Amino acid sequence: MSKFKKDGGKPAPGINTSSLPDIVFMLLFFFMVATTSKETDPTVKVVKPTGVEAADMTPYKQRSEIDFLYLGKPLNAARAARYRSIGMEYMLFMDNVVQSTPDDLYSTNAIRNWKSDKFEAKKSKITKGIESVITCVKADEGAPTGTIFDIRKELQKIDALSIAYAVDGEIKK
Amino acid sequence: MAKRDIPEVNAGSMADIAFLLLIFFLVTTTMDKDKAYVRNIPKLISTQDVPPPIEPRNICAIKANAQNQLMVRGEYMQNPDEISEKIVEFYQKNEIKNDGLNSFPMYSKISKKDIEISLDQAIEQAEAVENTPDALATIIEFKQRQVAEWEKKLTAIEMYGKETLPEIHFQAHIRIEVMKATKYELFAKIQSEIEEAIYELRNDSSMKIFGESYKNILSRYSMDEKLKDKEKIDLLKILYPDRIIEVTPKV
Repeated sequence: MSKFKKDGGKPAPGINTSSLPDIVFMLLFFFMVATTSKETDPTVKVVKPTGVEAADMTPYKQRSEIDFLYLGKPLNAARAARYRSIGMEYMLFMDNVVQSTPDDLYSTNAIRNWKSDKFEAKKSKITKGIESVITCVKADEGAPTGTIFDIRKELQKIDALSIAYAVDGEIKK
Repeated sequence: MAKRDIPEVNAGSMADIAFLLLIFFLVTTTMDKDKAYVRNIPKLISTQDVPPPIEPRNICAIKANAQNQLMVRGEYMQNPDEISEKIVEFYQKNEIKNDGLNSFPMYSKISKKDIEISLDQAIEQAEAVENTPDALATIIEFKQRQVAEWEKKLTAIEMYGKETLPEIHFQAHIRIEVMKATKYELFAKIQSEIEEAIYELRNDSSMKIFGESYKNILSRYSMDEKLKDKEKIDLLKILYPDRIIEVTPKV
């Protein structure tokens, strides 16, 4: 009756996996080319505002002519509550700087020292002076603009005269 | 000696190694690119001199208060998307023909001959300063920069291909005045609108003069600096300069 022949005790043929490494290597090379290395994960939450026609920072990153500065609410809820009680809602995060006390977290001196130290560390690698090393501020959309201008003032004092306001590049229209 | 068979290398673990590398790269890298608006901070100078006054027609003031309300050129604005249109108007109102009655910046039309005369004068002055004993380094630098500027204009007008080069008043600028409590979101929006307006102006002009988009020229310039794109970009920058002043908020 049945039109389908029952397969006898023949085992299923094995799948040839010899081209698997090739496929995986292809994927690997794609990701190596298409991505850029991550900087440190900030301990503050930053939701960047959206904007159009923003410049791409990748070339500056490749030449390490850019430093990142974060401005947002602390990720740690208990910490955020503690600082809010003393009137500090938005806080600075500078990469690779361990901040433990409130003074460290929002201290204008910290910016100057951080920027100068970073510049001294990579001085031999770059050809440009400190005035053209960009300081990229990644601020939360709810942050007060006054803090941005505080940062500007500090950078001005050490002649670091290039600032960038980070946004999420979104194609409008 | 007897010929021996070379044993085949077992490549079965190759995939494992590749996977391991792949996952390492997936974890340590990021796809999204950092995008930002680059601005210059003015150099700190200590001077008691009062700067010369600026005619109000040369200022495109964008103000935002602590309640995140906008005012552009003295008019209240509900929708921040309209800022770019105002900026375009600020640049283009007097571009074709100066009208002394409106409140927009004046344009000057400069001919090639005028530029050549000014360039010669600038070179002469620069040489005079350089030959003066104990001349200040900043003054020498300033004069040299002037020479470079006139040289740029000379190449620009050759590139432009017309009798005269229209130039907006040298004081015309965009001024951002925010308050300390203004949300960063609105500040970034203002920056975005400025960038959008200037891109639009330069792009339209680029299409008219060179028949290709400004973005095309910029991306080609970033790949190869040897082509004539530097001059093209300079011309567009002279036609529509992006002079932006961010005023430090007091309150």
